[in-house]
Amino acid sequence: MGGGTDLVSQQDRGILPADSLVDLRGLGLDEIDEADGGLRLGATVTLAELARHEGVAERFAVLHEAASQAAAPQLREMGTVAGNLCQQVRCWYFRHPDLTCWLRGGDTCYAQIGDHRKHGLEPGDCISVAPSDLAAALLALDAVVTTNLQPDGIPLLELYRKADQANRSTLALAAGEFVTAVVLARTPDASAYERAGERHAWSFALTGVGAARFGDELRVSAIGVSNLPRLIDPEDPLSGLPGLEQTAWKRRLLSGLVEQAVGRVRAGGG
Amino acid sequence: MAKLVKTEAVVEGRTEERWTLVEEDATPEWALDATPRPVGEPATRLTAAARVSGAARYTSDVRLPGQLETLVLRSPHANALLVSIDLDAARGVPGVRCAIGPGDAPDFDGQPLLTDKPQYAGAAVAAIAADSQAAAAAGLEALNPKWEALGFVTDLDQALERQDFLEPPSDEERGDVEAAMREAATVIEVEYLAPAQMHNSMEPHCAVADWRPDGLTMWSSTQGIYQGRSQLSEAFGLDPDKVRVICEYMGGGFGSKFGCGPEGILAAELSRRCKRPVRLVYSRRDENLTAGFRTPARVSFKIGAEPDGTLVAIEASAVMGMGTGGWAYPILETTKSLYACPNVHAMVLPVRQNLGAAAAFRAPGVMEGTWALEQALDELAIELDVDPLDLRRRNHTDVDPGNGRAYTSKRLLESYDKAAELAGWASRDELRGEGRIRRGMGCASQYWWGGGGPPAYADVRIGATGKPVLSVGMQDLGTGSITACAVVAAERLGVAVSDITVRAGDTDLAGHGPFSGGSMTLASIAPAVRSAAHHVRTQLLDLASDMFEIAAADLDLVDGEVRSSDGTLRRPIVDVTEKLGNAWVTGVGSRAPNPQGLAVNTFGCQIAQVAVDTLTGLVTVERVVAVHDVGRIVNPMGARSQVLGGVLQGIGFALTEERVVDPTTGTVLNPGFEDYKIPTIADLPEVVCEFVGEPDPRLALGIKGLGEPPIIPTPGAIGNAVAHALGMRIREAPYTPRRVLEALEQA
Amino acid sequence: MRISLNVNDQEQAVEADGGESLAELLRTRLELTGTKVACGEGTCGSCTVLLDGRAVLSCLTLAAACDGAVVRTVESGGPLLERLQQAFTAEDGFQCGFCTPGQLMSAVALLERTPHPGRDEIVQAMSGNLCRCGAYEGIGRAVARAAEGG
Repeated sequence: MGGGTDLVSQQDRGILPADSLVDLRGLGLDEIDEADGGLRLGATVTLAELARHEGVAERFAVLHEAASQAAAPQLREMGTVAGNLCQQVRCWYFRHPDLTCWLRGGDTCYAQIGDHRKHGLEPGDCISVAPSDLAAALLALDAVVTTNLQPDGIPLLELYRKADQANRSTLALAAGEFVTAVVLARTPDASAYERAGERHAWSFALTGVGAARFGDELRVSAIGVSNLPRLIDPEDPLSGLPGLEQTAWKRRLLSGLVEQAVGRVRAGGG
Repeated sequence: MAKLVKTEAVVEGRTEERWTLVEEDATPEWALDATPRPVGEPATRLTAAARVSGAARYTSDVRLPGQLETLVLRSPHANALLVSIDLDAARGVPGVRCAIGPGDAPDFDGQPLLTDKPQYAGAAVAAIAADSQAAAAAGLEALNPKWEALGFVTDLDQALERQDFLEPPSDEERGDVEAAMREAATVIEVEYLAPAQMHNSMEPHCAVADWRPDGLTMWSSTQGIYQGRSQLSEAFGLDPDKVRVICEYMGGGFGSKFGCGPEGILAAELSRRCKRPVRLVYSRRDENLTAGFRTPARVSFKIGAEPDGTLVAIEASAVMGMGTGGWAYPILETTKSLYACPNVHAMVLPVRQNLGAAAAFRAPGVMEGTWALEQALDELAIELDVDPLDLRRRNHTDVDPGNGRAYTSKRLLESYDKAAELAGWASRDELRGEGRIRRGMGCASQYWWGGGGPPAYADVRIGATGKPVLSVGMQDLGTGSITACAVVAAERLGVAVSDITVRAGDTDLAGHGPFSGGSMTLASIAPAVRSAAHHVRTQLLDLASDMFEIAAADLDLVDGEVRSSDGTLRRPIVDVTEKLGNAWVTGVGSRAPNPQGLAVNTFGCQIAQVAVDTLTGLVTVERVVAVHDVGRIVNPMGARSQVLGGVLQGIGFALTEERVVDPTTGTVLNPGFEDYKIPTIADLPEVVCEFVGEPDPRLALGIKGLGEPPIIPTPGAIGNAVAHALGMRIREAPYTPRRVLEALEQA
Repeated sequence: MRISLNVNDQEQAVEADGGESLAELLRTRLELTGTKVACGEGTCGSCTVLLDGRAVLSCLTLAAACDGAVVRTVESGGPLLERLQQAFTAEDGFQCGFCTPGQLMSAVALLERTPHPGRDEIVQAMSGNLCRCGAYEGIGRAVARAAEGG
């Protein structure tokens, strides 16, 4: 457990019953280290600390913007980098105390036969969407994640896995494994985060798009459109994202946000 | 001398005849052209110190010795039969004091409070009282209910198809709509879909019951302590004088907390059985499954008009989704009464659904009905190329078009002019743009009741300290009515508002007071307060006259002093009252009826300016000009806060708030603040607020209510502004990013 | 489990259940009912308290994780909180008052870190505190007023 904001609320709804929780905040994983032209974020750095960090704001705009807009101020004070990356989907069926959906080990993805207006653009066993703003930002920044079992690190995308019939987890962590740090090897020439929420503050992203430019290399990522955070081809942002009956509107939204974010990083520094 | 009179009262559109006890009263009225201090001056809330310090005791804070905690088993199914339940297993759980199930509690609103045939997901089936929340939760686990799930209907259109009405549909016509429609130069047909808005008071519904051999004491988060007392005495066959209802501080209600509710009855039943105090606090989820909502509705219009916009015929129908309760709120009232249309046909179909019971929500029926009507008028204005405000002016009426009655006062035309001026209406087309951000401006009219009336009583006493104590049999939701009462008393007693102690929220304290709703509270209670204060004033002046040997008619109470008209005497009031020792001077006042045979209404106009982000679909309300005609303003500070609150809730309805029901399981998918989004501080627009109403010459103290009016026109004005910005109309609220982007995609 | 923490300048040693929230501990065990619970699921901000100087949601904070912590609630007093309480009164920054303790604690956290915030900073810092009565204009003005008086 990091800040516990997602875990405690899942416990309260009986989604994640656990006999004991381990608080990881005493392990000294709370440093932001600007070393060697890159950045190392301890797992229990809070979103608020990240958002307030001047070096991050100067060099990694996409990360600063994502951390500043995620959730609400109090949740940013509590929520940690690793907790944000590892949080469960916000799907209203997944979080429903009276239903056991496919992702929770049941047989039915209620969203597909029910109301999926805020869900993804990608058909599958589960149509809920990745919620982590930080994941989009860090994916654009080509982050590496270290864990207690993999101290050398893995690319951020490998932290995630597609849930399947046998294993409904969207995290590729082994039992007892936890994230220890996020490492950025290089600083982009420009980066930006663009997101759309349901109101002017305190809203999970309907869709969030991160973009970073390293010289001529452009990395674009998105959350809110598919199960897992994904890399986006800026020339063809909708590739593999046909949209579902009630989510076609997100295609327009994603294209617009990609255009906006890419425009910003092409135009500028910072 | 007291006498009984028969009067007619309009409560949220329903006319009632009542017998009322009225004291004969010689209190002089305020002059219409003068507002005596401190009336009309800003007053900070008397309850402020308690509320900002955390000391205010809300019902959910009440802790009594030996108090038990309660949890309720609610149906997970939208329609089901309870096949079995193991109450004995729950009773065996350590710490559980009582477990009751279907048939074990009194009825509420004619329905069993605990049922084995739940008609909606969230219906109460069993309840557990235990030493702690944890023990109650363990008791719930042990119940092991088995259900037989049945078919259900939650969709509005399916419910209409089923023709199962909660109350008989209404069908009213004046004139000859069919003939007039045939003759009309222009006819438009439009339809709108209004969402179910949920109250979500910050303090959930809650009750603490203490049943004792000598009577029942109930702490309740309620908008009506006396309604609660009646409910409890009827449910349990108790003498009303053996029931005491207390509401010290209250965390909002907005129409969902009249009486003590099922939570109060259930807590009382458990307290009766356990012989211990029992507390029941709804969770946020309970709140949104079972504590009421503004009825979703499909509203259709066919409107015929002359080329200049003069209305000749309106054919209107509204299907209202009532769930399992509530009443058919006056959704087509503004269609019938706001404009001078001679031919109107209005049909209301209140359908039953497998959802919780609807409850009045700030301007119930009228807000959503006005949202629809005012957009239909805009669509007509666009069709005819008439300025939308001019179209409204053209159809202004000087008498109630339904019954021909004159209004006690009406300043709607002034409201239009003032709002147009403040909003810059004339140049509204210049706002629009072709880029990513598109701006627009829209208007809507406001119509509501709000005249108040009897019965309402107050008493004032003053003792040796010279600081008055005012007691009223009502409660303060946070609207500021307590402070406004003190302002009214202060004027008669010549003391500072802050020197008055107001006691309220306790049926054992004072005579009957109004419930807080219908924009009736202040207009009802203020004249009673003033009358009570006047009686005390008269006695104080008599005492002073004896002391100082100056005729009472030559004395006045000003700024805490007794003063003579010739200026020779200036003595603190306490110099007189200290002679009272432990005695006090008391005065009692009551509210007299309104003049009969006249229409009592409030009016207004709001103009909203919006910016629509065509990339994200997010709508920003940038500015709202709110002009209302609500009679005399007692406390401008409180009045402005009421307007801001109404506007914010109207913005919520227009932009983000919408109950979502799962079509497959019939359960509410967004019973919490994560997916049911109410406005935040970042969603607050600039609000320009003006009152055009001078004191209503025919109402006591010239006061009309202000609770409902400001929410009524906001969503309609926003809808019209969004249509103005985009050049097309979204006919279903709220205008979420999804709906905006879908509309843009289709365009 | 046994935990000790400092609440409003008083050392407290209490027995807390495993799943017990800080909000429950404050309201029930310590009878500090100024802290309100309106949603119980971390979405409204009513239960905001200061935990080691940071504004956090006490309903989502496990009491067991607060061993050794310094907690401040609306009952804590002090010049900044008092200035804010006066400013909320003067600007009518509440109606029913149920969200107010949480609003005040978010404002304390903001002004301790940023004594002279701009309007956007105020809006940002207060955006996790919902007010159903819609008193936001007064809330924003009150925070600005308290900042000026500092």
